[in-house]
Amino acid sequence: MRKIISGLVIGALAVTAVACSSNDGGGNSLPKTGVAIYKFDDTFMSSVRSAITSAAEGKIAVDIVDSQNSQPTQNDKVDLFVSKKMKAMAINPVDRTAAGVIIDKAKKAKIPVVFLNREPLADDLAKWDKAYFVGAKAEESGSMEGQILVDYWNANPDMDKNGDGILQYVMLKGEPGHQDAELRTKHSVLAIEEAGIKVEKLAEDTAMWDRVKGQEKMAAFIAANGDKIEAVIANNDDMALGAIEALKAAGYFKDDKFMPVVGVDATDPAMQALKDGTLLGTVLNDAENQGKATVELMKVLAAGETPTKDNTGYEITEGKYVWIPYQKVTQK
Amino acid sequence: METTARGVRLKQAFSHNAIWIVLIALIAIITIVDSNFLSLLSLKDIAVQSSTRLIIALGAAFVLITAGVDLSAGRVVGLTAVVSASMLQIPEYGNRFFPDLPQLWAVIPIVIAIAVGFAVGLVNGFIVAKFNVPPFIATLGTMVAVFGANSLYFDMEPNNSQPIAGLRDDFTVIGSGTLDLGSFSLPYIILIAIAVSFIVWIIFNKTELGKNMYAIGGNIQAAHVSGINVAKNILWIYAIAGALYGLAGVLEAARTGGASNSYGNMYELDAIAACVVGGVSTTGGVGRVKGIIAGVLIFTVINYGLTFIGINPNWQLIIKGLIIVVAVAFDIRKYVAKK
Amino acid sequence: MTKKHPYLLEMKAIGKSFPGVRALDNVTLNVRPGTVHALMGENGAGKSTLMKCLFGIYSPDEGEIFINGDKVDIKNSNDALRNGVSMIHQELQPVPQRDVKENLWLGRFPKHNLLFIDHKKMFKDSVAIFEDLNIEIYPNQLVGELSVSKIQQLEIAKAVSFNSNIIVMDEPTSSLTGIEVEHLFGIINKLRARGVSIIYISHKMEEILRISDDVTIMRDGKYIGTWGAKELTTDLIIERMVGRDLSNRFPERTNAPGEVKMKISNFTARQAKSFKDINFELRKGEIMGIGGLVGAQRTELVEAIFGLRSVTTGQIMIDGKEVMIKSPIEAKKNKIALLTEERRVTGIFPVLSVTENTVLANLPLYRNKFGFLNEKKMKVEARVGVEKFQTKTPSVDQLIRYLSGGNQQKVLLARWLLTDPDILLLDEPTRGIDIGAKYEIYSIIIELAKQGKSIIMISSEMPELIGMSDRILVMSEGKLSGIVDGADANEENIMRLAAQTS
Repeated sequence: MRKIISGLVIGALAVTAVACSSNDGGGNSLPKTGVAIYKFDDTFMSSVRSAITSAAEGKIAVDIVDSQNSQPTQNDKVDLFVSKKMKAMAINPVDRTAAGVIIDKAKKAKIPVVFLNREPLADDLAKWDKAYFVGAKAEESGSMEGQILVDYWNANPDMDKNGDGILQYVMLKGEPGHQDAELRTKHSVLAIEEAGIKVEKLAEDTAMWDRVKGQEKMAAFIAANGDKIEAVIANNDDMALGAIEALKAAGYFKDDKFMPVVGVDATDPAMQALKDGTLLGTVLNDAENQGKATVELMKVLAAGETPTKDNTGYEITEGKYVWIPYQKVTQK
Repeated sequence: METTARGVRLKQAFSHNAIWIVLIALIAIITIVDSNFLSLLSLKDIAVQSSTRLIIALGAAFVLITAGVDLSAGRVVGLTAVVSASMLQIPEYGNRFFPDLPQLWAVIPIVIAIAVGFAVGLVNGFIVAKFNVPPFIATLGTMVAVFGANSLYFDMEPNNSQPIAGLRDDFTVIGSGTLDLGSFSLPYIILIAIAVSFIVWIIFNKTELGKNMYAIGGNIQAAHVSGINVAKNILWIYAIAGALYGLAGVLEAARTGGASNSYGNMYELDAIAACVVGGVSTTGGVGRVKGIIAGVLIFTVINYGLTFIGINPNWQLIIKGLIIVVAVAFDIRKYVAKK
Repeated sequence: MTKKHPYLLEMKAIGKSFPGVRALDNVTLNVRPGTVHALMGENGAGKSTLMKCLFGIYSPDEGEIFINGDKVDIKNSNDALRNGVSMIHQELQPVPQRDVKENLWLGRFPKHNLLFIDHKKMFKDSVAIFEDLNIEIYPNQLVGELSVSKIQQLEIAKAVSFNSNIIVMDEPTSSLTGIEVEHLFGIINKLRARGVSIIYISHKMEEILRISDDVTIMRDGKYIGTWGAKELTTDLIIERMVGRDLSNRFPERTNAPGEVKMKISNFTARQAKSFKDINFELRKGEIMGIGGLVGAQRTELVEAIFGLRSVTTGQIMIDGKEVMIKSPIEAKKNKIALLTEERRVTGIFPVLSVTENTVLANLPLYRNKFGFLNEKKMKVEARVGVEKFQTKTPSVDQLIRYLSGGNQQKVLLARWLLTDPDILLLDEPTRGIDIGAKYEIYSIIIELAKQGKSIIMISSEMPELIGMSDRILVMSEGKLSGIVDGADANEENIMRLAAQTS
């Protein structure tokens, strides 16, 4: 029996090894680069990941690894890149404050590093001139959510159901303490207030970025507040779509009963919901361009050149930042 | 003498139904804070949100009663949610998991998903029964491996780890449809949970498998000596548990109208917590369907009710933790001989 | 010792109640210094409860405890140890993965600089205690490798290391061989000579009469009296324990052995140090006793017949046909039943009811036509079993763990009889059971033999073997050393066979 098991284990290892090595992207002449993603099953980062893979074709060889949502694991992956003598690397930090250590490692090994999606502290990034950032301004996604609601409010006076001139909303937050969750929560409301509309928060709770929890929390909000709710703001699309399911169960989205719901990420299911007329709007974090910009930067850096607008196609702010703007996506 | 006998009986009645008393007390407290809570809508929401949890908890209970534990529950839910959803998308949806898949009869993907759960359960049971691997370790292994398999499937071309949505109405109706009885409408998902509870009750109390399950959990050596085929029973028990997780995964997909590989994360811990709060003994041999239902309801009432009255989510976690520990501490007192 | 008091320990008018039970009622125990004091009574007489009160595991409702004439208040086992009271438990619980010296000094390791454990001192102190008591154990050996008797000696050494002058020994010889018992008695004598008092709990009359100075007898939670051991005989003790004259301890055997039912040939265990080359025949309606010392591999033999252990060679013929039995499932199919020695470990399902414990080996019998189990039928069957054997239980829904040992045994007998066996293997069927209940079990066994069932009964109690068996098979060191006819059997010829060495 023992023999059979060890046979099975060895067999499994062999298969895995073969499968993995085929991932190494053959091209011998292309410069080798490494990309460490904070978590492979993150919806948005998966899109960035496929954008990187397709943009890299014929330009650089990329080795994309999973940090499993753990900063220590990511640091190990960086060490791996160093020992594999990568020409450049891109890091999507698990924890933005860990970037300092990664920059030290990169500087010592003289491997240029591009941070991706999660912005390191400015002081850390200033430590080395070959450290860059590609990403979006997090607060922008929140502001755009707010602006979508403002546009709808101005175009549809009957959104103010009770006619008190105040927008009553409920908020579905991501993981508490998460930078994006806090910024989106704050700036979505700020944008509405800046447009001169008074707001009142009826309820706020965390749904952990999760569709199932979004649905369950929304059901409780509806039961507690009934028709008083005039808008639903969610920190991401998954939670927004969960909320829509709860609203459907409460009779919304048929017979002219509508509820403005906004999210962030513009995922495929969210686009479908836009088409169906259930989701009012979402904000596109431009995965395509984030991936492409990362690849362009790595290509230039791997060749030992300094990135400019001419050789990358992207504006470089303060010699370090490539800002990929968010885009509003609405039903029309 | 008369009064003490009555006192003892009262005490017994209290300790046997302590879990229901806690449940009623919780609802009462929340209702005192916000009188709107006690409405048909809230109660229906609580029942709906308990439905899949109950099915998972019942599966977990099978294993717990044999003095085992099944950590793979949550990840199996995630896997079967993804498997069923991937085959049940509307043809017009932009990014279909299987772009060219014809419109299957909805039952087929559902059966496939449940069969996948059953198969994972069989693997668990096989490892535990044939190789004598402790259940904690065996199911820890499958938990990790199932998530890996699910993530691989989920990351396949052309899906690339995008959440699966655009599910067909004839599927989502299972999770969100209702049976209309005049002015009152009863969600199908509640009916499914009731039916599953009834079937599980039958298995627990009216079948050889059930009796053997209690016997194996109560004293596995005595079961062996009594000529019970321990290995075969364990295999079936884990497999049925797996099938129940499979059904729960299908229902989660139908209820939320979507699925991703993160579905079901940590559900096993919720299920185990609900079971032990509901009087299932972690040392095996003890557990009733009635108690498990109460255990599940308590946690849903906490989740839903505390959100309803706007309690800070961090406090909700503290209250949940307290209830787990206190409930089990009280329950164990039933078994520990008093000084 | 600063002052001389006639009694080292006095427990006065101790009372303790549990819901519905008066466990101890005005019980007295006076122990003189430097004596072995036997505490006797049937199971359930209150001996263990009394000792638990002494050891602080229970707190008595009434009464007082004096040590050396001073009133003491013992709330937990630490208080007991501080007052010089130690207990050698029936089921010893050392840490098998650690070595002897660590077990001996557990919780009070000697240390250098208050920080690091002083292994050298620990070793030296252990050796000193062992030498003092004439105990041969190497302090660095793992406890898991020690024999039961060595572990017991270790526990005694531990008690001595606490400077205890009252040591409670609960059934200390239950799993010792003759030589080991002698060694234990040597240690006891040594301690007694030093002024240590031993409270000795045992069911073995011969031992008690030999080793003890005083005997206190309890019955139904009440104090019956204390006598000097010299004034007593086995019969007197039993009479006072049971409260009635028990001149006839065994029912009359009315069974009549018939033709050969089972034939065992060349039975040899797979394990090296187990039974070898066993051959015998068992007749229909026969009660065959198996005698031998602990370690004679009797349990292993019957477990192998039942398919719980594997054999390298050997053949089982039932009714002249060879059968293969590799698991209890196959044993059951061949109509063999086994009542195991360790009732709690391999017999009962403690958290299940009497009904479930009765029917569990035989569930297919209660299927209705839809394949579901018929609860009513199961309960009826359980009730029949309870009535037939006069099992004392409030109802068949009672959890079996709350029943006494004898009643649990009756439920297990009922379980196996439901499978309608032809051959019953009974391993120490009356161990830990009251004398009264023993008689009932004996009657059941004889009744079964009378019905034509074949019975193999392992017993370590010589009178039981002789009083119950048609023939007695005696084993020694895994070998069959002889078969004695019941009529010719006496303690001497059985003992001689049991002690035979190769």
